[in-house]
Amino acid sequence: MAKAYPRKRFFLEMFTRDISLEDCILDLIDNSIDGLIRTQKIDVASELLTPVESSEKKAKSLPSISVEFSETGFHIDDECGGIERKHALDEVFNFGHSAGDVSGSLGVYGIGLKRAIFKIGNTFEMVSRTAKEGFEVNLNVQAWSQKDDSLDDWRIPLDFVAGSSSPRKAGTTIMISDLRPEVKMRLNDGVLAARLRQLISLTYALFLNRYVRISVNGSPIEPFEIPIGASGEVQPAYDEFVDGDVKVKLFASLAARDAQGAWKFEPAGWYALCNGRVVLAADKTELTGWGVSGFPVFHAGKFRGFVGIALFQSQNALALPWTTTKRGLNRESPVFQNARNRMRGAARPIITFLDSMYKPDAPEEAGAKAIADHVVGTPLSTLASGKASTFSVTLPSKRAPRTVVRIQYDAEKSDIERIKKQLRKPNMSAGTVGKFTFDHYLKTECPE
Amino acid sequence: MSAPTESYLKVHYELRPAKQVERRMLADSFQLLLRDFPLRDYQYTGMGSVYFIDFILFHRMLGISNMLSVEYSTKVAKRVEFNKPFDCVRTKIAPIGDVIPSLSKDLQHILWLDYDGVLEQGHLADISSAATFLSAGSILLITVDVEPPTKTDEPKDWCSYFKEQTGDFFDETLPLSEFAESKIPLRNVEYVVSAIKSGLVGRPHVELIPMFNFVYKDGHTMLTLGGMIGTPTDREKVLGNRLAKTTYFRKSFTDPQCVIRVPRFTRKERMFLDKFMPCADDWLPQEFEVSPESITAYREIYRYCPSYAELLF
Repeated sequence: MAKAYPRKRFFLEMFTRDISLEDCILDLIDNSIDGLIRTQKIDVASELLTPVESSEKKAKSLPSISVEFSETGFHIDDECGGIERKHALDEVFNFGHSAGDVSGSLGVYGIGLKRAIFKIGNTFEMVSRTAKEGFEVNLNVQAWSQKDDSLDDWRIPLDFVAGSSSPRKAGTTIMISDLRPEVKMRLNDGVLAARLRQLISLTYALFLNRYVRISVNGSPIEPFEIPIGASGEVQPAYDEFVDGDVKVKLFASLAARDAQGAWKFEPAGWYALCNGRVVLAADKTELTGWGVSGFPVFHAGKFRGFVGIALFQSQNALALPWTTTKRGLNRESPVFQNARNRMRGAARPIITFLDSMYKPDAPEEAGAKAIADHVVGTPLSTLASGKASTFSVTLPSKRAPRTVVRIQYDAEKSDIERIKKQLRKPNMSAGTVGKFTFDHYLKTECPE
Repeated sequence: MSAPTESYLKVHYELRPAKQVERRMLADSFQLLLRDFPLRDYQYTGMGSVYFIDFILFHRMLGISNMLSVEYSTKVAKRVEFNKPFDCVRTKIAPIGDVIPSLSKDLQHILWLDYDGVLEQGHLADISSAATFLSAGSILLITVDVEPPTKTDEPKDWCSYFKEQTGDFFDETLPLSEFAESKIPLRNVEYVVSAIKSGLVGRPHVELIPMFNFVYKDGHTMLTLGGMIGTPTDREKVLGNRLAKTTYFRKSFTDPQCVIRVPRFTRKERMFLDKFMPCADDWLPQEFEVSPESITAYREIYRYCPSYAELLF
């Protein structure tokens, strides 16, 4: 029998190369949100599309996830219910889930925590407390990686600590220090915090201020609003189907205009969400069907008014079409291939509308522009509350035919003056003279 | 996307004998399929223009009464509505590609994408979409003009045209000789079939069951491909139906095409020939001059061949 053992070096050096620092941090946030979903028994498949009761007071009372980093370390602290000891002992530190282990709604592959630790630094501390019990882990990754002779060397020392005593305080804290040199460079690049805020705002758009608050270095993050719109005239497309374990809902419509009354290029395109997590944003490539199977390539000028949303939901997160970095779609996934074809169908009438709005060598079509101007941003809960339908535009009823025509003609100034003199109205305008004489003739010569 | 050509302005649809033979063959096939499929309950969606000939035929011969005619041009909206032959025909002014996703998933359909122009990108999108959205058991028909697609007489221009229009369906490995005029119908078959297959991706329980592959010429050479979007059980039913034994049925799109040729005979000649139909392979009339090829062609289509006469109202 030949050896086919796992090697720690592989996980430390190779495993971390195909994922960005930002995505590693999002993986840790996924774990926190999964804790919340588990402890609060949130049914992601159904609840995410119900209306949000939003109030500042409610938002402040939500559990928080705080991400902080500096040159000396990285820290994530959540109030998401903590991890049970048994789960920590048997599953949390494994590389991949065991057969039969129920994965989370967002944490799918059982690699996020480990990959983040290895990616970020050399020293790892973790404390997690449920209301009843707790544990802590202190690990020097370099020292741990030196010994790799048997599977027993893959264990991680874990100590039991007391629980949090109240569900409200239950949660997990992770601190990673002795940062890798390349991570230190990223932390100092001046843009990481802003980029992370932007990514969190987008990725957890359906969770933020509904189930959880997230802050980065103390700044709270507001959810991104996918700019899909509707109006009295514009009925968005809504299609849904079930493929195996996955329920798919597709929405497509015109985008809501921005504050300047325009459509921007950047937020246009398809958004894909798996169990509520945005895994693809504003996609305009062949991945979401643009430019394939006869469908047009995304036209930067014409199609910036298009927004579509594909929601994939499943209790079995492994059945969802996301990649391991959760920043893309697995194009070989059968459910995604099915969805991609239907996404083109949902988009087709919108493309027809935009084609009619922007005809070649012609100004923007006024009627279509007026319709587009009335479109307002619409929450997914509203879009999902209707019946499945295709995108349609109800054109305003045609105006009644004009019954008047405009008369213009030239007249000698001297003749105008003669009429004004006869009327004894020297200040009468030439136009009024014209109307007066017309009315006079009509009255005196054309009795009804 | 370019607007469809308005061929109804140029050609009187009722005077296209080969097209009418094709329609009647389709009606014949649907009558045969009635044994195994409830076609009377299907929705027929076509592009009826202002003549609605297919609608009249399928309503009268099959009893289909759920009918939708889709017309692109807003310029003839009233004319389309005025000319619809039965109350059960609904009309919609929209690109067919916008309508396909809205076809009821609770019904089975006969959808005829009866384009009168050469194959273009938008047609392929429609075809692919039809394969995605049509429910299992539905029948999809596609007609396109298979004349050389550009006004030049250079195969390299035709090749370039198809490369531009068919995108990822285009086979880069084909030599220029495969774009000779005689090969253009075959290229069209490949592109249409590829578009159907791409639309079926992600629908593992259904497949394209080939049924028709007609080529005919009333002026331009036209191609009609058709088949069922069906389950393996549907395939068994189709292959076990008498339809599979007809001369025009094609169980594979790689089989030789069914070429509809309508020989030109006078009314008197036709009446004479009909008395001997279906004739033996080597039969020829002695009463007038006629080629064996014409008799063979006539034998294939005489049951479906229209007769034209002037009507004085």
